[in-house]
Amino acid sequence: MIRITGLEKAFSGKVVLHDINVSFESGKTNLIIGKSGSGKTVLLKSIAGLHEPDKGEVWFGDILFNKLDFNSKKEIRKEMGMLFQGSALFDSLTVEQNVKFPLDMFTGQTPEEKIDRVNFCLNRVGIVNANKLFPSELSGGMKKRVAIARAIALNPRFLFCDEPNSGLDPITAIMIDALIRELTEEYSMTTIINTHDMNSVIEIGENIVFINDGYICWEGNKDEVLRSGNELLNEFIFANSMARHLLSPQKSED
Amino acid sequence: MFRFLSQTGKYFLLLKKVFSRPEKPSVYFRQTLFELHNLGFNSVGIISIISFFMGAVIVLQTAYNTENPIYPTYLIGLTCRDMLLLEFSSTVSGLILAGKVGSSIASEIGTMRVTEQIDALEMMGVNSASYLILPKIIATLLFNPVLTLLSIVVGTLGGWLAGSTAGVITSEDFIYGIQYAFIPYYVTYAIIKTLIFAFIITSISSFQGYFVEGGSLEVGRASTRAVVFSSVLILLFNVILTQTMLS
Repeated sequence: MIRITGLEKAFSGKVVLHDINVSFESGKTNLIIGKSGSGKTVLLKSIAGLHEPDKGEVWFGDILFNKLDFNSKKEIRKEMGMLFQGSALFDSLTVEQNVKFPLDMFTGQTPEEKIDRVNFCLNRVGIVNANKLFPSELSGGMKKRVAIARAIALNPRFLFCDEPNSGLDPITAIMIDALIRELTEEYSMTTIINTHDMNSVIEIGENIVFINDGYICWEGNKDEVLRSGNELLNEFIFANSMARHLLSPQKSED
Repeated sequence: MFRFLSQTGKYFLLLKKVFSRPEKPSVYFRQTLFELHNLGFNSVGIISIISFFMGAVIVLQTAYNTENPIYPTYLIGLTCRDMLLLEFSSTVSGLILAGKVGSSIASEIGTMRVTEQIDALEMMGVNSASYLILPKIIATLLFNPVLTLLSIVVGTLGGWLAGSTAGVITSEDFIYGIQYAFIPYYVTYAIIKTLIFAFIITSISSFQGYFVEGGSLEVGRASTRAVVFSSVLILLFNVILTQTMLS
């Protein structure tokens, strides 16, 4: 479980996150939704320790993560996996080397054990016969899946995904969502996903946090999100005509 | 002034992070071998070509500007040797490497920063500064002295070939000249300068790349700054080292 209390973050005097208080449960897909520029990525990176919060506390279980020293943070980070918006695979390494990288760095496994683990992770995300390819030779969806394989290589307890569906076609996006949900349940991870993809909200939003201009405006789940009565949230959810047509409560009742 | 001080502080904090204990020495060793090839062996060609022609020009210029019966011709060989040893093979090679290696390091690390690859390393619990920069520093400290020695040899060879082909000096006089009044300390001086220049090039370029913010335009700017700052610092330290080591 991850718990955030009173978190604030500003850049060059501009406050991006205001007094954030929220909890993310383990074994569930927790979604942070909101417009571009609302502070989702800053919140995710502040939780993951890539940004230092100006105020507040970030608890990983019973460990106050943001107050730890550099080396203690490094230890906790070995239990985290992160899927970046652009996948962030290492360009100079092959698919196999990318997934093997955390194993090389942090385990004392034999080369055979590492290759077995790499193949297991790649198979788990549906990547076959691509071990020797470089990231530049992969499609967007394959890159995301390899990045997920790398993220789960060390059996993390915490998984962070920054807009995992951006730039993907709807079918691949659904596949990535399903994969993240399955892995979350399988490994009982605490998963936090940043997204503004409404399909993800409806499909995998077990716990949803809506953020607007750096404030948390609404919390709930996928069953509640369409009938929240929150004006800002409705504005966001029903922004496009397809959503208005297919998802609006009046339409559903009809 | 405030910006200069804050950047200097940031640079030394980065160096502190770079020289912290590696997570897995075997991985760093492999990375150092890769950088030896990438930053070292790949520079052999350009250093050889430039050294050869610079040696040739030094001999021809010296010959045409000292056409006087008072000066023995073997001094052309001596001049070529000392110019290569004292300045060209360390300082000018350093400036060339600042352009080639410096821009490559800054753009590589800068691109990793803007594509979140550095964030990915940090997320895994890897000390990204140490993993990315330390192998580069070790590789250039090990290999740049080899490049300097190569430059001295190839430059001398270029000078001898140009001199004897143009007929400005005989082979015997040239070989006598390059052995005449040889001071071995000059080699030590050249190597020490090379080591300091190698550190400047790698650390300054890495610093510029590591703190890039934005996109490809900023990566390009960081790459330019890496070359400019490395070159200026090389010239500054050249004066300081010459004064302290040869006075």
